[in-house]
Order: sequence, then C-alpha cells, then structure tokens
Amino acid sequence: MQRSRFLIGSLAGLTVSANATDLFAKALAMPALPNVAPGAVDDRVLIVINLQGGNDGLNTVVPYGMPNYYRYRPTLGISPHDVLDLDNTIGLNPQLAPLKAMYDKGQVAIVQGAGYPNPDHSHFRSTEIWQTAEPEHYVSTGWVGRYLDEADLPESNLFNAVALAPVLPAVMVGRRVDVPAIAALRGYGLSSDGNVGERAAFATVVHDDRVPFSSPYLATVATIEDHAQRGSEELPKLIAGYASQATYPATPLGRSLSLAAQIVGSRLGTRVIYVQHGSFDTHAAQKPTQDRLLHELADAVKAFYDDLAAHGEEKRVLTMTFSEFGRRVAENGSRGTDHGEAAPMFLIGGGIAGGLYGKHPSLDALDNGDATFTTDFRSVYATILEKWFQRPTTGVLAGSFPTLPILT
Amino acid sequence: MIDPMVASAPPAFRPAGPLPASPLAPYAGPWNARLAAHLLRRAAFGGSPSDIQTAAGQTMNAAVDALIHFPSTDSLPEGPELIDNDEGTPIALPQIALPQTMASPMPDASGADPATSAIVEARKARQMLRRRQELANVTWWLDRMLVSPAPLQEKMTLYLHGHFATASGTKGIYGTDIVDQNWLLRHYALGNWRDLTHQIARDRAMLKWLDNARNVKAHPNENFARELMELFTLGIGNYTENDVRESARAFTGYTFRRRTGEFYFNVAQHDDGDKTFLGHTGNLSGDDVIDIIFTQPAAPKYFARRLLEFFVYSDPEPELVDAVAATIRKNDFNMAPVMSVLFRSNVFYSDRTYRALVKSPVEFAIGSYKLFGFTEVAPQTVGVLNRMGQVPFHPPSVKGWDGGAQWLNTQTILARENFASEITTAAAQSKNFLNAAPPAPARDEAQALTHTILQGDASPASVADLESYLDGRGTSADGMLSGENFEERMRGAAYLTMAMPAYQLS
Repeated sequence: MQRSRFLIGSLAGLTVSANATDLFAKALAMPALPNVAPGAVDDRVLIVINLQGGNDGLNTVVPYGMPNYYRYRPTLGISPHDVLDLDNTIGLNPQLAPLKAMYDKGQVAIVQGAGYPNPDHSHFRSTEIWQTAEPEHYVSTGWVGRYLDEADLPESNLFNAVALAPVLPAVMVGRRVDVPAIAALRGYGLSSDGNVGERAAFATVVHDDRVPFSSPYLATVATIEDHAQRGSEELPKLIAGYASQATYPATPLGRSLSLAAQIVGSRLGTRVIYVQHGSFDTHAAQKPTQDRLLHELADAVKAFYDDLAAHGEEKRVLTMTFSEFGRRVAENGSRGTDHGEAAPMFLIGGGIAGGLYGKHPSLDALDNGDATFTTDFRSVYATILEKWFQRPTTGVLAGSFPTLPILT
Repeated sequence: MIDPMVASAPPAFRPAGPLPASPLAPYAGPWNARLAAHLLRRAAFGGSPSDIQTAAGQTMNAAVDALIHFPSTDSLPEGPELIDNDEGTPIALPQIALPQTMASPMPDASGADPATSAIVEARKARQMLRRRQELANVTWWLDRMLVSPAPLQEKMTLYLHGHFATASGTKGIYGTDIVDQNWLLRHYALGNWRDLTHQIARDRAMLKWLDNARNVKAHPNENFARELMELFTLGIGNYTENDVRESARAFTGYTFRRRTGEFYFNVAQHDDGDKTFLGHTGNLSGDDVIDIIFTQPAAPKYFARRLLEFFVYSDPEPELVDAVAATIRKNDFNMAPVMSVLFRSNVFYSDRTYRALVKSPVEFAIGSYKLFGFTEVAPQTVGVLNRMGQVPFHPPSVKGWDGGAQWLNTQTILARENFASEITTAAAQSKNFLNAAPPAPARDEAQALTHTILQGDASPASVADLESYLDGRGTSADGMLSGENFEERMRGAAYLTMAMPAYQLS
C-alpha cells in the first residue's frame, strides 16, 4: 500500500502554510497600497454578527419584571438578583457585563422584539429571510449584497466587503460585487513555492474560460480563482501596518473581530464585514451553552471596540447582531427551548444613540406559544442603509420601513 | 415594473439550452474515455487513468452495470480503529461517565475555581480521546471511498449522509454513533428509501441530533418531526405548522436505551391520543407518519430534485424532476433501478450535464488520490477537507452541504490549490503517469497531462502555457524540459493543470 504522508500538520486542520508567513514577512517590507483612491472612500463600516442557530432572546434581554417570564421559565429563568438591570423591567444576561458597561456609556442600542410577519420556524428558511430581507419570496441575493451592488463601489477593489467565514453567507451575495470569504488569515494564500515560471503560468491558467465545454459554473470558478489568487497576495500586505491595541479572547469570534479591526484600521474601502458566532440552537441543557456563547460575544465585542478606540476608529464602525429567530417562550422538558419568533438585536458603536428601542414582546398574549414581534427587522436594515450609509433603500429592501432614531 | 430583487439575482446555475427530448430514455450515442470519466466522476469518485480506460473499453451499459451490481466488499476493514480509554474500554459505548457537576453550568467564567481543575483535566482527556475517535472515523470512511470495489455504494452513502445530515462530536454524538448511522445509510444506499427513513427515525445518532430522544408526551420536541418533512422527505410548503406539532406528538417516546444505545419505544412517554396529520386522524405513531409522508406526491419529487442536484445538474427543470419522480414512484422508492435509469439516460450524457457540477471537496480530494494511484488517505487530509468546506460526519447543519456555488469562495479555492500542490509533490516521488515514461517534448507532455487529468478540457492557450512552463520559458536559470528537471517540471505542470477551472468541475 502506498500511503501518501505529504501533509504535515495537526488533525484540527491547523496546518500552517509556510508561505502565509513568508507573505507576511514580505509585506512588512512593502508599503501598504490600498487600491482605493484616498478620500474617495465613504469611511463608515458595518460589522454584521450572525448569532447562528436561534439565540434565546428572553434570556439575553431578560424581561425579569414580567411575572409570566418566571412562569414560563421555571428552571431557565434568570433571577432578578443576577440580571443587569436596564429599566426596572428589562435587564441583560449577566454574561453580557462588558456590553452593559458599553450600554452605560451610550454605545449600545437594543432593538426589542425584532421579527417579521408569519414567522418561519425553520433555521434555514428563517436565516434566509433575515439574510435576503424577503420574508415572502425566495431570492438569491442578500440585503448587504444588494447594497454593495447599489452603492457603486469600485469593482477593482477586492475588499469592498469581506465575510470572515468558511462559506460565503447569503447576506453577502450580490450580482456584481464578489465578496471574499476568509476563514482565517492563516491558510489564506497559496502554499506552492514554485519558481517564477510556475507562478506566472498559474496566474494565467487559473482563469482559463475558453474551454471546449460549457458549464453554468465556469465563469464563477474562473472569477473566484482569479480573485483568490490576487486577493490572498494583497490582503496580508495591506493590513500588515495595523497593530492591535487590545487583548482579544482566544475564541473564534475573538480572532474574527481582531482580523476585522485590522481590515477596518487599514482603510481598504471595506464597507461591510460579516462574522458569525454560535451555535445557539439550545433545544436541551440551554444554560451552559448560551452562557458561554454570550460571554464570548461580549468579551470579543469589548476587545474589538477597545482596539478601535485606541486607534480612534470606534465612531466609524457600527456593529449589528441578528439571529434567525428567538426561542419558544416556555422552556421544554429538556431544560432547553425550541424554535420561536421575535428576539432582540444589538446595535453597537461609538457613533450611535444608545438605549432601549421598540417594545419588549408581550408575554401575556402569545402567538401559539411564541413572542410576537414588535419591530420589523427591516426597519433596522433601513436605518442602517439610510442613516449609516446614507443610501436609499430602493433596490435593496422591497417596500419602505420606518427608521429608528438610533443613528442621527 | 421589474422587481428589483429579481433584477439583481445572480446567474442561475441551470445549464443553458433546452432539455433533450426523452431525457430519461437510454443514451445511444458514442461512448468514449471522456464520457467514461464523466460517469466515474458522478457515480464514483473518479478513477485512475487505467480505471477510465477500462470503463471506456466496455459498453456504457456494462460500465453502469459494474457500478450498480457491485462485487462483495468483504475484503475491506470492518470499521474504524476503536480508540481506547485508559481502562482499555472503547469509548464508543458505554460512554465514559463524568462527575455530575460537569453537566451543570460552567463556573463563573471570570475566575477559575481550583476545585474544578480535576474536572477540567478529566474533560480534556476525554475530549482528546473523542477527537482521536472522530479522526479515525473520518479517515476510515475516506479510505473506503478511495479503495472500495463498490464506489457507487460509497457515493450513494455520501449522498445520503448529506440528505439525512447528522454531525458527530456534538449533542452527545460521539464514539461510533455516527459510524453506526453510516452503516445504516450504506445498507440502504441502493435499497428502499422509505424503509431507510423508518430506520433513520430509530437511529441513535439521529435521535440525539434532532432531540427526539427527549421528545416526551408532556413536552413534545418538534425538532425531528420538522426536519423529517422539511429536509428529509417533502420540502417546505408541503405541510403546515400544525402537521409539525401533530407529528412531533406521534414521535414521542422514540428514544434509545442509555446502556446499550439500542432503539426503544418508551410507551410511557408516548402520546397515544388522536393526532391529525396531513389529513389523517387517529392514534398515529411515528412510523404511521412516515408511511403517510411517503404517499404524498411531494415525496418522490423531493427525492428526485435532491438526487438530480447531486448527480446531474443544479436547478433541474420541473419536467425532469417529474420524470425522475415518476421513476421513483414506479419503483416504490427502491433506488437501484432508479439510479440505473439515471446513469444510462440521455440527459446524463448530454452536453448540459457534462462538467455542470462543482466537485465537492470530498470528490476533489478522493478523485485526486485516485488519479495518482494512491491507495490510502493521509490523516491530515481531514484538516485539508475542513479548509475546503466539507468534512464527512461533520456537516455544518441538518441541511447538509448546499453544494454548487457554495463550494466556491476564495478560501476554499485556495485550499483546493494548496492540496493540489501537496499531492503533486507526493505524486512526483511515487510511480504513476507523471513518470511512467521517459521525457517527451514539452508540447506532447502538456497535451498528455491535460488529457489524463482533464480529458482534454483545457483551452489551446492553457496547453501552450503548460508547454512554456515545461520548457522553462520565462525563467532565467532553467533550460528546456530534460531528464534533469523532469520530476520538478512535471510536478509543477500537474499542479497547474489541477488549478485550471475544469478540474474544479465534475
């Protein structure tokens, strides 16, 4: 038997590509040259954090002043002594202490009861609805993708938006702008140490589209191969000048936001960065999982804004969280919660009017066991588009939605 | 007015042009190495140059028969290596017990409690054993895909793994839970998929994964009931929320015995009241629910669409879906005759199907191993597959892998190219077509490489680029292709060929 033992690395897939380090070393010796003209860039950045799996909103922004809360949550209910009070009725999960500190400084807005009519309880469909902003139709572009298309960004910029994820999420899919997906900077690059001739030939053959067959995927493959090759060569050079000024938690979200800060601070003309965190799908034994994930979220976000503030960048960056749904109001028999409906969204940043927005969903009149939404999530998107990016929602959102006074 | 959402839709991935007449009628056109390689890419995991020659030398029917009426697989390993704990107990079942406190909420994350450090150590040790077992499980299956004399059985098993997607290493699914499910999928790979669905509802990994093991009369848990219809059998829009709630009641009490891991129907936790499901009322069991589902016209259509998207092309026409659904219904969900029709059909060998799919990472990796004649998969390949976006037994969600354009992004493409670089380096040092013959002129080598690796699916310009590279043009130090630089240059040229777009496509 011929066993090919050519790949040396750890089992977790953390093989370090020798070349990534090389590129980095080379980058340090080279001036950063963003391929966007200085001054032509609208400075504002949106960070989208997807809380995957359906985060339990009731144990995130806790209605501890509503008696029904403890009736529906006999084992999962968070004690009034533990919640971080916001207004004598509503409080934050104690794991969110770092976010509470930012809230107290006016840097966190909480949109309560975000959702949409006729909510879908499927992870996939509801994620798709939040990402496409189309509850009633199946569309294949995301709302961020459509914004990027509409914003008339320079096509030569490979980093108009970046998804820090192993798979490109639907929210970032547009028609014109190809958004790179980067799981981590490590491994984002070619490892072959071939000679000059090989590299030159590589740059040509990877976008061979004059082939003797037709395939619906050919153009996509050729474009992505071309962008991957050029982008992975450029990005480490472009962000090498940024030195992080915060200690990020050693979690996947911490690493993603650390890279996000590098990209933001290097001013590449990047408008939107997508990161993900999860899984919040807590059908059973919810508390330890949700506690850990909320703790990781607050820790990473705090480090991110500390880092940005140390660079004077915190007012440029708005962060929005979403999750495909909240969870059923009543806990189930497994100390978990099933798929529900409305849930809060967080908007975080140095340039916002913090506070509680919208109404907390009623726990008196439930919709088949679920909390009914009080704010359409597309109002939040409209607020971001119109007030943050100062672009019309036409072509991005179907219909018009009132904006919230979070951004001025 | 044009809906702006529709106007900005990205290109569809259905092949251009009309569907051939009688798409499922037997293909009667010419048979050659190009189509034989196409069949092997889709119905197997590709093949070595000699595998392709063998299939091309037969008739199309004989090549398909060899895949469907496969030989015994008794010579293959019986299962993954079982990782022992310190006491010599395989960690599969029963699972290592941990102190009760470990199941309770974590200590306040702000400060480490020294009293918990022993528990933390025990947890780490167990985690390590579990990870070793996960790795053993995945490499076992990858090796099996690579060398099984029944590659279609493995390909159908991979399809079913994505269809009934269950992830190991989470929700209490550890040890060989997922391997047992894998054997179940393999057993029914070309068998009856209604029977398979009944068994899936009793499968330990599935009972854990979608929480049905905790679905009890007093608190029905809808997770399995919902996904059964949405993702496994009918598709969204073919049932109501009420059907979900009612069928969840029907599945109450379907659980497994903690000690043995065997399925068991806990009568005491079963709701034996009347339920109304898709128009049927009565004291329905979970098995009744499955039988009702399989009488729905949406069921064969759902399987037909999923099969076409995996084996033929994306976004298949409704007429084609209906034709395959009719074949499934006619064969009462027995899949060997259905796949037999599909792999001999006009549409399968039409231009619209050829290279119309994106290779999955598993197809890309195993196909590359086969291409160069390797017979074992390096364990590190699991990490490589992770970067490409697909690790068997670890689908991202119960929806499985979306496939198609979802396989393609900057990160996954780089991982593919880096894998190609590594495997060509290994291949240059072992015996295969790269070094089977003495050096020929660069032009001939370039032609031969694109024929062997891509069945000639490269543009003349790219062949010329390969030729230039082989002859060292554009570099100062090296001369034309010669015995001295042959190994290095052939490695580079094979790597370049594998980086061409055609190699990403199936």
